[in-house]
Amino acid sequence: MKSVGEAMAIGRTFQESFQKALRSLETGRAGWGCDRSEKLPSLEQIRGGLRIPNPDRIFTVRHAMQMGMTVEEVYELTAIDPWFLDKLAELLETERFLKKTPLKSLNREQLYAVKQQGFSDRQIAYATKTTEDEVRAYRKSLGILPTYKTVDTCAAEFEALTPYYYSTYESEVLELSQGEAAVAKVETEILPSEKRKVMILGGGPNRIGQGIEFDYCCCHASYALRADGFETIMVNSNPETVSTDYDTSDRLYFEPLTKEDVLNILEAEHPEGVIIQFGGQTPLKLAVPLQTYLNQNPDVTTKIWGTSPDSIDTAEDRERFEKILRELEIRQPANGLARSFEEALQVAKRIDYPVVVRPSYVLGGRAMEIVYSDQDLDRYMKFAVLVEPDHPILIDKYLENAIEVDVDAIADADGNVVIGGIMEHIEQAGIHSGDSACSIPTISLSASVLDTIRTWTTKLAKALKVIGLMNIQYAVQGEQVYILEANPRASRTVPFVSKAIGVPLAKMAVRIMSGMTLADLNYTSEVIPKHVSVKEAVLPFAKFPGTDIILGPEMRSTGEVMGIDTDFGKAFAKAELAASQHLPLKGMVFVSMNDRDKVAAVPVVKDLIELGLTVVATSGTRQTLMEHGVESVELVLKLHEGRPHVLDWIKNEQIQLIINTPIGATAQIDDRLIRRTALAYKIPIVTTIAGARATAAAIRSLQSQQLQVKSIQEYM
Amino acid sequence: MPRRNDIHKILLIGSGPIVIGQACEFDYSGTQACKALRDEGFEVILVNSNPATIMTDPETADRTYIEPLTPEIVEKIIEREHPDALLPTMGGQTALNLAVSLAKNGALERHGVELIGAKLPAIEMAEDRKLFKEAMERIGVGVCPSGLATTMTEAKQIAHEIGNYPLIIRPAFTMGGTGGGIAYNQEEFEEISQSGLDASPVSQILIEKSLLGWKEYELEVMRDLADNVVIICSIENIDPMGIHTGDSITVAPAQTLTDKEYQRLRDAAIKIIREIGVETGGSNVQFAVNPETGEMIVIEMNPRVSRSSALASKATGFPIAKWRQNWQWATRSMKFPTTSPKKHPLVLNPPSITLSLKFRALPLKNSPVRSPR
Repeated sequence: MKSVGEAMAIGRTFQESFQKALRSLETGRAGWGCDRSEKLPSLEQIRGGLRIPNPDRIFTVRHAMQMGMTVEEVYELTAIDPWFLDKLAELLETERFLKKTPLKSLNREQLYAVKQQGFSDRQIAYATKTTEDEVRAYRKSLGILPTYKTVDTCAAEFEALTPYYYSTYESEVLELSQGEAAVAKVETEILPSEKRKVMILGGGPNRIGQGIEFDYCCCHASYALRADGFETIMVNSNPETVSTDYDTSDRLYFEPLTKEDVLNILEAEHPEGVIIQFGGQTPLKLAVPLQTYLNQNPDVTTKIWGTSPDSIDTAEDRERFEKILRELEIRQPANGLARSFEEALQVAKRIDYPVVVRPSYVLGGRAMEIVYSDQDLDRYMKFAVLVEPDHPILIDKYLENAIEVDVDAIADADGNVVIGGIMEHIEQAGIHSGDSACSIPTISLSASVLDTIRTWTTKLAKALKVIGLMNIQYAVQGEQVYILEANPRASRTVPFVSKAIGVPLAKMAVRIMSGMTLADLNYTSEVIPKHVSVKEAVLPFAKFPGTDIILGPEMRSTGEVMGIDTDFGKAFAKAELAASQHLPLKGMVFVSMNDRDKVAAVPVVKDLIELGLTVVATSGTRQTLMEHGVESVELVLKLHEGRPHVLDWIKNEQIQLIINTPIGATAQIDDRLIRRTALAYKIPIVTTIAGARATAAAIRSLQSQQLQVKSIQEYM
Repeated sequence: MPRRNDIHKILLIGSGPIVIGQACEFDYSGTQACKALRDEGFEVILVNSNPATIMTDPETADRTYIEPLTPEIVEKIIEREHPDALLPTMGGQTALNLAVSLAKNGALERHGVELIGAKLPAIEMAEDRKLFKEAMERIGVGVCPSGLATTMTEAKQIAHEIGNYPLIIRPAFTMGGTGGGIAYNQEEFEEISQSGLDASPVSQILIEKSLLGWKEYELEVMRDLADNVVIICSIENIDPMGIHTGDSITVAPAQTLTDKEYQRLRDAAIKIIREIGVETGGSNVQFAVNPETGEMIVIEMNPRVSRSSALASKATGFPIAKWRQNWQWATRSMKFPTTSPKKHPLVLNPPSITLSLKFRALPLKNSPVRSPR
């Protein structure tokens, strides 16, 4: 199994549920196709795609049918029950009908039937060559609105009063279109309420970069608001989460998080506020469409609570953000924008290698790379990204061996700011913050650096008019602090920080968004705990045979664990153990470093030897170690140097720990094989110098004393 | 019925970090169990290493250990807290495996801790392929032609006996089928068998005949101490056998079964939960049905809340009652809250069709994801 998440949709028919579920998936699809121009594969490819089970097969089925394959033929190849295939074929028929019918000539009955098959406004817009807004307006003018039904939790045995809703398009159409009353009688099952209502938009399906941390924040928002007497309305499509349990909120809408579906609920519920900053990227994408809708409909009294969409946008818009940074005199790494390879070369020349390159149009570190040379840059521009005038490449100076710092802070409408936690990352800047281990409190930052971080965080929160949570990432190189990015919203570190400092940050933040101040909440100063908390990422590498396991700017982890203890070494050891990395207390360490890290590895290796471990290394690394006075290092052969080579050592279980930093962006085959084999033999492997240092500290702690346990209630 | 008064303090194990095959679906059940047990006056100790869970909020349990989920660490917690009982069915496969280790290494006995919710023999009968196969033979429920191997030699022997490829390799005691797969030829068979043997903590793999093309169904079943059994929900995989259930598109309730076929699955599921001996709580049973002949085979059974339970709960709206009963069953003997005075299974058929689409992990960079196994 390889899925990291799932979406569920509820409807009255298979077709409706099916299309809703597809648009809940956050893969950019508006349903089962009919949302973009498609290039059809060859019949041969289709046959292969149908015969061999694969995750895109449901779209291959579509292609097959588009090319005229019959239900019987598709069944022969897929063994998918013809009942399902028939339903899909019907969808395709509807789509064909839509494509030859202008929007305005669809009558009420026809459009109703289309909606009952789960077609989204976006799909209808695509088929009729109109816009989603036009479809919505026309649909509403015909009185075609979704009705909200409760999920019958009592199997029709007795009346279900659970406020757990899903949308559907009911079939009273015929009656209505024949009768004289043009106004749709919508049989909604939504219960009325006298309380002040707040709608919380959840995070949708889990995927890498969008995990349960955001769901945790949404749940906490709901708990706090309910405790304060608000009626909370949760919207989410992920069946695995706590937010979609129907007693987390007063009302639950199990619906896709798309503009169409969210606006429909908004119009049905008329909440006083909408919260979009807790559910991660999914609801944030709706910020601008929602605000536009609210601006266009002044009679709708709903407000987006907390930091304004404009402020959120400012932080994401490079130019506007830089302007603020200049005004506040906050330092950024040297950077530039490139629309072609030549421009990229110039920028790189100006700011000097290594540089971090990424496309401007993706979020979450996808396709981000650290580039060390012109040649590397050429490869990146040619093969890794699409460069167009509209989609420039962002180039930042890569701060080598810098320490990355994550800060979560809260600000209220009066401009008061409290730092929730300052996390020092173990892995150096350049590794995605979601994949890096981190520690609260910080372990190596100087007082003046921390001071700068606190001052800048406060200044920036005020300048961006943050109301609620904000996360800022910094890089610290020596005593110099640089800001990397700021996000005026809940971050994935909120649950970790809350548990480390003993303050429920998400609850605090939502109360602030409801109008309270930090002073009202009696939360006015940063909490710096005496114990150490370490968060470590859990990576899915074992599930993907053949992938390399090095960390980089692209996030890869699926989950996280936390270790708490009295000192850093023990807390880190616990976090590693929780992430299934069993650090050895004795035995042999294999060290193989790239050229940049060889010298930096010397003190770590000395440390490990002092702790009683034997060190073996490949020739280059061993040479450097010897030059720096580390004599007792045995040589291990690389793969091409003869046998027994390093893989033999690993397979014979002679090696208990591996420290191997990758060479350049694409690690060499040797290194990859070493790391894969280590993974297969469950040998802990460290791919960064900073990680190696932390590992040595952990081994030291483990040697001095066995791990003890203590409950979090006792730490507080 | 009376609450068990010999138990005062209960240790609950959470499911740890989110990994592929085990998401956050156990957070809610665990949180609810904590709350409910505390309402009943029990002292609840919780251990989970995942900070991003509601259950590890400091107010959920009496004491919360955010500590690694290893037998050594959990035993330390037991030494420190002296719980009377351990509830292992709320934390997925992670918690179940941990409970099994603690039972087998004698830690539970040493410290006088009783397993509640699922007893060791039931867990073992469901999880150990050989015991499971024998149990199914006893009640006359068909299973797939298969064999168990602990070495490569045995594996090859079994492959020879079954006769033809493709063959499916499933390692014992792993989550989401890690290390398993489908082999279409001998070379692939040896490769996958080896990785399966490595991945299984007991170095055991099950080799079975491929059921490619068969239809796949799941039933969520619950049983109480009075031997009532209910079918909470049926789930149909749109993709036939060959795609891992967790990766398949699924529909609840099942759409393409005739009433007779559905009855057969129900009857089998009820027999299975009784034979395995899950006294209290929920289980998930997976079936394969041959579309040509109607032949039915049981694939596996999970004696705990599973990934599909969460889905079934959300699809039917059954969770609260379900979870509340779940913990209650663990600590008292209680009957189903059936509205009917007669003692017959209360079957809930969800009136709405719900469809769950599970999609795959984003393929990691530089790594064309292999064809699914």
